[in-house]
Amino acid sequence: MLPTRRDLVDLAVRAAALPGAAEFFATWLRAAQEHQHDAGSTGSNAPPEPPLLLDYVPKFFAADDFEALQAFTEILIPTDDTPGARQARCAHYIDFLMQASGDVPQTQNAWRDALKAVKETGFHAADAKGRAALVEAMSKPERDRSATHPAYNAYRLIKQQTTFAFYTSRAGMIGALEYKGNSYNASFPACTHPEHHTV
Amino acid sequence: MATTYDAIVIGSGACGGWAAMELSKAGMKVLMLEAGSHIDPAKDFHHTFLYQMEYRGQAKPGALRRYAGSERNYRIMLDSSENPYTTGPDTVYNWGRSRVLGGRTLHWARASDRMADYEFKAASRDGYGLDWAVSYADMKPYYDRVEGFIGVSAAKEGLPQFPDGVFLPPMPLNCAETIFTAACKSLGWRSTHRRLAQLTRMHNNRPPCHYCGNCVNGCDVGAMFNTVAVTLPPALKTGNLEVRTDTVVARVRMNNENRAQGVTYIERNTMKSVDVDARYVVLAASTLENTRLMLLSAKGGLANSSDTLGHYMMDQVGGGGVTGILPKLKGGPSRLDDGKSAGISIPNFQNIDKKTARKDFIRGYVINATGGQSEYPQFAAALPGYGSEWKKEVKSRYVAQARVWIAGGEMLSQKENRVELDPEVKDRWGIPVLKIHFTHSDNDRKLIADFQEKADELFKRAGGEAMPGMGRGGPTGFPGAPGSPDVGAGGQGGGRGGRGGRGAAGGGRALGGSIHEVGTARMSASPKDGVLNSFCQTHDVPNLYVFGGNAFPSTGDKHPTLTMMALSARGCDHLIEQAKGRKA
Repeated sequence: MLPTRRDLVDLAVRAAALPGAAEFFATWLRAAQEHQHDAGSTGSNAPPEPPLLLDYVPKFFAADDFEALQAFTEILIPTDDTPGARQARCAHYIDFLMQASGDVPQTQNAWRDALKAVKETGFHAADAKGRAALVEAMSKPERDRSATHPAYNAYRLIKQQTTFAFYTSRAGMIGALEYKGNSYNASFPACTHPEHHTV
Repeated sequence: MATTYDAIVIGSGACGGWAAMELSKAGMKVLMLEAGSHIDPAKDFHHTFLYQMEYRGQAKPGALRRYAGSERNYRIMLDSSENPYTTGPDTVYNWGRSRVLGGRTLHWARASDRMADYEFKAASRDGYGLDWAVSYADMKPYYDRVEGFIGVSAAKEGLPQFPDGVFLPPMPLNCAETIFTAACKSLGWRSTHRRLAQLTRMHNNRPPCHYCGNCVNGCDVGAMFNTVAVTLPPALKTGNLEVRTDTVVARVRMNNENRAQGVTYIERNTMKSVDVDARYVVLAASTLENTRLMLLSAKGGLANSSDTLGHYMMDQVGGGGVTGILPKLKGGPSRLDDGKSAGISIPNFQNIDKKTARKDFIRGYVINATGGQSEYPQFAAALPGYGSEWKKEVKSRYVAQARVWIAGGEMLSQKENRVELDPEVKDRWGIPVLKIHFTHSDNDRKLIADFQEKADELFKRAGGEAMPGMGRGGPTGFPGAPGSPDVGAGGQGGGRGGRGGRGAAGGGRALGGSIHEVGTARMSASPKDGVLNSFCQTHDVPNLYVFGGNAFPSTGDKHPTLTMMALSARGCDHLIEQAKGRKA
């Protein structure tokens, strides 16, 4: 719930009425300004994405693997009426994470193995329709426990990290999920639904 | 010649901050020693969105092996590579620690429940363990004092096992909590707003909560209780308090009159050893660090004529619970559900008297429940499928998330659960580290199994649908995080990943803890039975006080911090009276 101008004035008056409160209130306001934590920082007004991924050049994956990964992430989380993996630059983020994972070589190796397994399915060379069919086949054990696929583990790894990269991005968190937290609020919105008071 | 202080307070967490405030307000010259660094919440805590951080709140890959925290707050956690601990062969124990001015108050869960006589005097009722050397009547004035100062938002309920206090208005319930409340009523269980040291209105010159939901990453305005914003300012205002950060205390030094002479600390960065003297020494460095200091300060342990120092370590039992969704909320609009990081509490309703006694286990537990939108949809990666339909399903469930967890499950005290000095391993400053021996009892397992039944019952009555892969924390696949290929299940200092679906309590896995470690220098009416008296003064050394969870002869089922602070307040009154009656 966003504070109204009246809420803020009321708060300021109450704060000023208490001895010593001005200092705390000043701290609060400073924090709000410095951390973009004011009334306008929620919803679509959340702060912009930092430049990290905008200018990022892949460093960890080979060019063909990166292109394949990018296509894979966009099949998993497509752009539709809300942003998808492309806007969130999920493949770029995964590459960034892997190049920063020098201290955890097991993870880097797991990703190398995953891309190798994907390549062995023919994904890299396939056209868009073929790639979609391959992802469909790889994911089958997720829905049918009797099914197996040699690239299922690769599918799971890519899906897990793509999900993280997407829903922690501005595109996923704000654009797709409309996250309302991390904002300044004058009060907490109580449940007002009679149907929630009974089971 | 070195200054002799009236009191040295070691540690700046909830108890150290309180002691520094009380003693300096009483006119005593106080030196506070903090092993960690100074931090200014207004400057150092940023309400950043996950996407504004390089590692999206997870810390650099691999770093979580050293810190129990995230990219937002790991700087205020202890670096376990500098100060490790070891464990006995059968022990699985994650000791979550901070080293920073303010200690764990900077990121604690803020739950502030009073313990009741059914906990203080549990041994008299069921015959197990040792009664506390205080009663609720002894503690009530101190609970009143602490709550009145720090501010606790809560609702009065009139339940003897969940004593009411000096409360600010409670935080409103969100939709999921309202549904769980209705489910409790339907089951005949009492429930209430979680009682939190978090302001709902201006209080003692501090602004109210602004519901941003970042509490465990540090509150930049001091709306949640923490030492730096609440107890240190009035203490410093007296002019009687000196704070030295980056000082790692190595031992308490004794004189020939069986009194503490002072302490020796090592400057964290220069490695220089420094002696400081005082009339009184207050250990408030956290429960296990207090005991470590006593073990380091004399052969066989300081103030250990009872031979109980280090023994009877406990931590409230964790594990189990249910996560999933409430279908009633599915597909609804996104709402600010996690802005208060709160929930509802269901006070223990078993084993509180003869009428409610269980035959299969003793003691009890408090249940918590909450739900709704969260910062990150932890469940999403485990939800089968992909593509646009999957995205829609994620969003639909995102606002309907729900979870039931154990807030405080009593763990029975056992003498064999103990800490000792490791004979070989030392920390960065050359100080021997603790070795922890810690296992659970059958009663602990039965209690958690019973909790699991109740949690399932509550979730079902609320109409919930259990789902795997939900909970708090980051993804288990994040490089270096718990569950990733490079970190074993027993890795130290790992963050707390989410629990999924129905908990595995009673299924043979080791039970979890709650970062509520207590005991190891328990209080006792007789010096034969424990290390401390009812004022948290050691039985053996009259000018040595120990504030923290050390004194607890049992865990009870309430979160321990409020009781630790009330014990500290009581101990400070005693110390001040002692100081007045004694020549400097």
